[in-house]
Amino acid sequence: MWDFIGERGDLIAFNALQHANLVLQAVLVATLVAVALAVLVNRFRVLDPIANTISAIGLTIPSFALVGLLLPLTMIGATTAFICVAFYATLPILRNAVVGFAQVDETLIESARGMGMSEASVLLRVRLPLAWPVIHAGVRTSVQMSMGIAAIAAYVLGPGLGGYIFTGLSQAGGVNAVNYALVGTVGIVIVAVIADLLMLLLGRVTISKGIRA
Amino acid sequence: MAESRPAPVPVVESDDDVAPEQSARVITREMVIMLVVPPVLVAAVFGAFVWWRQTAELDSVEAQQLRWGVIRSLMWEHVQLTLVSAAIVVLVAVPLGIMLTRGRFRAAAPVVVGIANAGQAAPSVGLIVLLFLWLDGGFWTAIYALSLYGILPVLRNTIVGIQGVDPTLVEAGRGLGMTGAMTLFRIEVPLAIPVIMAGVRTSLVLIAGTASLACFIDAGGLGEILQTGISLFRFSLMVTGAVLIALLALLIEWLGRVLELATRPKGI
Repeated sequence: MWDFIGERGDLIAFNALQHANLVLQAVLVATLVAVALAVLVNRFRVLDPIANTISAIGLTIPSFALVGLLLPLTMIGATTAFICVAFYATLPILRNAVVGFAQVDETLIESARGMGMSEASVLLRVRLPLAWPVIHAGVRTSVQMSMGIAAIAAYVLGPGLGGYIFTGLSQAGGVNAVNYALVGTVGIVIVAVIADLLMLLLGRVTISKGIRA
Repeated sequence: MAESRPAPVPVVESDDDVAPEQSARVITREMVIMLVVPPVLVAAVFGAFVWWRQTAELDSVEAQQLRWGVIRSLMWEHVQLTLVSAAIVVLVAVPLGIMLTRGRFRAAAPVVVGIANAGQAAPSVGLIVLLFLWLDGGFWTAIYALSLYGILPVLRNTIVGIQGVDPTLVEAGRGLGMTGAMTLFRIEVPLAIPVIMAGVRTSLVLIAGTASLACFIDAGGLGEILQTGISLFRFSLMVTGAVLIALLALLIEWLGRVLELATRPKGI
């Protein structure tokens, strides 16, 4: 086992970074999209049940099925993996962002307007900071979920550690099969734990001091 | 999935600001929508699929893979994988969860939930493949993997649900002369059922999604059509497999919601 890792250390580290990178980029895009959608939902409250329904139905669809639906459009490779991970990453953030914006006290918005703030600065300086703790929790959930989805996306040659799991599967019975599968699985758990710690840190840094618990 | 996911995963995290017990105890508008929309959607898409299947010009490979008999048996396998695993999850996680809220085991609850949480971070494919390499393929290996993967939501919600019962109600039960076991089965468990059932639904979705990966270890299920489609690179097979997996998952989620409503004790 240690020999196996020792011989391939560089490559494993590279794939771990690729895995983290895929998840990071997908979640970043997902956060921007989800927050933008939530702003829209917050503006037009009729959209609220629609957003919730889409989010609930989307999360029910298995990621392997989405991979199959995307393949005819985006072909085998990293694009499919990215779209797939980003799609699922959007949903928890969207749900939390809608809840987060709805929880912002209307009187605070009133007073911000009373101070002469424009719509844009009300959004950026009042709504977003106040909703951020809830949105951040959604982003954290998304990161964890994306780690496993990125592993499944490796079936269609997405980047990252998931490839090792499928190598292990295809070499079943061979000497290194278990090593490959273990490196893939445990590697993803380690990347996920580190990412979660970083997300906690991000929360510390970005959640406004006035509302920190 | 998310499979997955953690497929995919409509798990409300404890630090999520939306307390699971509250969202589970009242009937929200979202619940009503989710009871109506998915069956309509499933029926419409399945109707479209049947129409396509009957009218499309398929070559011999596709016709072979998409025979109704094959589709039916794969779907049945998928349902079996899901329901057997879910039954095992409920039989293990509910008693375990109840035990972890009793007397001297209470201290162990955070530890067990912590371990289960960490296990959930492991990718579902990895778990399935590792169990396959250890135990060899087939139906029961898939069942073990799916049950392991689905245990956390039910376990966590059982603990949270029972801990969330108002202690004054238990107190009142004791005042009426109930024994510890009576307060458990007549007060605490019935009041916790909505929360537990929300966990069961989450598990069902997780398991149904992960069951689409059972094809990797020769345990069948609808994933097989998709897998064949990817390896032969036939769009018709890919899309059929993907659509059927998604429809079945939606139907199972809906079943979970119906179960949730049906098991709700009359008082709440």
